[in-house]
Amino acid sequence: MIYSSELIKGTLKTIVLKLLSDNTRMYGYEITQKVKELTFNKIQITEGALYPTLHALESDGLVTTETEYIGKRVRKYYRLSESGKGKTVEKVNELADFMETMVFLLDLKPRVAAL
Amino acid sequence: MYRLSEKQIDFILNDIGARGVEMASLQQSLLDHVCCIIEQNLEENGDFESFYNTTIQTFYKKELREIEEETILLLTFKNYYKMKKVMIFSGAVSVAAFMFGSFFKVMHWPGAGIMLVCAIMLVSFLFLPLLFILKTRELDSLKNKVILGIGTVLGIMFCMSTLFKVMHWPGANMMWLIGIAIAFLLFLPFYFFSGIRNPETKMNTIVSSVIIVIVVGNLFMLTNLRPNNPTKIFTYLQSEALLAKMHHSVGDTSVLSADNQKLADEINSTCKAIKALVLQDEIGEPVLPKDFDAQKEMIIESSLGDAFMAGDKGQQLILKLKTQVEQYNSAVGNTDSQIAVANSVMDMDFARMDLYTNIFVLNNVTQVQLQLANAVRNTMAGR
Repeated sequence: MIYSSELIKGTLKTIVLKLLSDNTRMYGYEITQKVKELTFNKIQITEGALYPTLHALESDGLVTTETEYIGKRVRKYYRLSESGKGKTVEKVNELADFMETMVFLLDLKPRVAAL
Repeated sequence: MYRLSEKQIDFILNDIGARGVEMASLQQSLLDHVCCIIEQNLEENGDFESFYNTTIQTFYKKELREIEEETILLLTFKNYYKMKKVMIFSGAVSVAAFMFGSFFKVMHWPGAGIMLVCAIMLVSFLFLPLLFILKTRELDSLKNKVILGIGTVLGIMFCMSTLFKVMHWPGANMMWLIGIAIAFLLFLPFYFFSGIRNPETKMNTIVSSVIIVIVVGNLFMLTNLRPNNPTKIFTYLQSEALLAKMHHSVGDTSVLSADNQKLADEINSTCKAIKALVLQDEIGEPVLPKDFDAQKEMIIESSLGDAFMAGDKGQQLILKLKTQVEQYNSAVGNTDSQIAVANSVMDMDFARMDLYTNIFVLNNVTQVQLQLANAVRNTMAGR
């Protein structure tokens, strides 16, 4: 099952921030591949969602970028900034809390308890 | 693993640009991304072009440009909440300014004008534009965005035409009429027919359309379609001409006693000061210029400015004139040479300043001067 884009949209920022906090620096393609791999293809981040989010994170100062030339093309690496580290913790906690609430709301206790 | 040639990389970059992605950093990101996918997934002797075409199509729903639009949207609305706060704050401040300004105006207290102007400025240049920017984001169809855009422009136009009107700036009426025309001929049909098709908004649309027609229709009834009447000022201009002639025929020769001459000079200078106050409001100059064109400048009869309210400069000058005239009247003694105080500015009821107009003051003060000039002529003739 591939999750709908509506579900991913609200959590994409958190996913990207968390990945960056675990992996020092990453580039766009790498992020999509990593997410695919970690979720056994259940979450496929589209380019149309990823790059706008990365640009927004950059303009918010949550990530810093460095560019590297790969032959003729430029690869942009993203790295968490100091404020980004704090934000990651905040976002992950928020999502965890949200998930707990959803468990209550949708009465999903048995399955999640097993996690 | 496929190896991309430089030519192919240029081709991809060009194609991304041609598909409407203009931000350089986004172009580079997408380029690297596509290249990664091709290098990872295309066999060494695979068909580059067809693989590229199918790959790039997975990036978007309708067009590649969506990615750039989404990016711009996210970057622009980083300040969404800040803008929302500013909008609500500016709205609240302008409502307060409108209410206090109107109350001050009714009470003839100073500061009413500045408050009302600030309120209009805030509404038209902060509140309405922000409302438009924030609201368009919630609307998905271009049609609704256009309707909202026209509505915003209309709101600003109505505010500005009112402001222009009270400030006596040119073009107020024209702007007002164009606004009404756009409201009736463009905005309403658009708004009505797009809202009525949707069952959810049908009722609301009908009700709001009726209210808009009633309000705009009423305002239109109040609109004076004839050009403003500039002839009311003609009497004043004629009086000024007569006064100038009388001053000219008397010349510099002083026929009054030194004391009376001093009193007469004082009266004339106070009269000039009062007129200067009115003229400053109307034409931005204390005296009528030599080449004054009443048809062009259009001094319209209207209530007196703030300077004449609540003990301000205008009222002080009128009281001063009254004292000077009373001194002069008792000094000259005979009724023929005295200046009539009754029905003149000196007889004004300061509690009812709303009764008097700019043109009344100009005319009346000039008549005081004419009476004085006439007294001087009488004295000359009597010699």
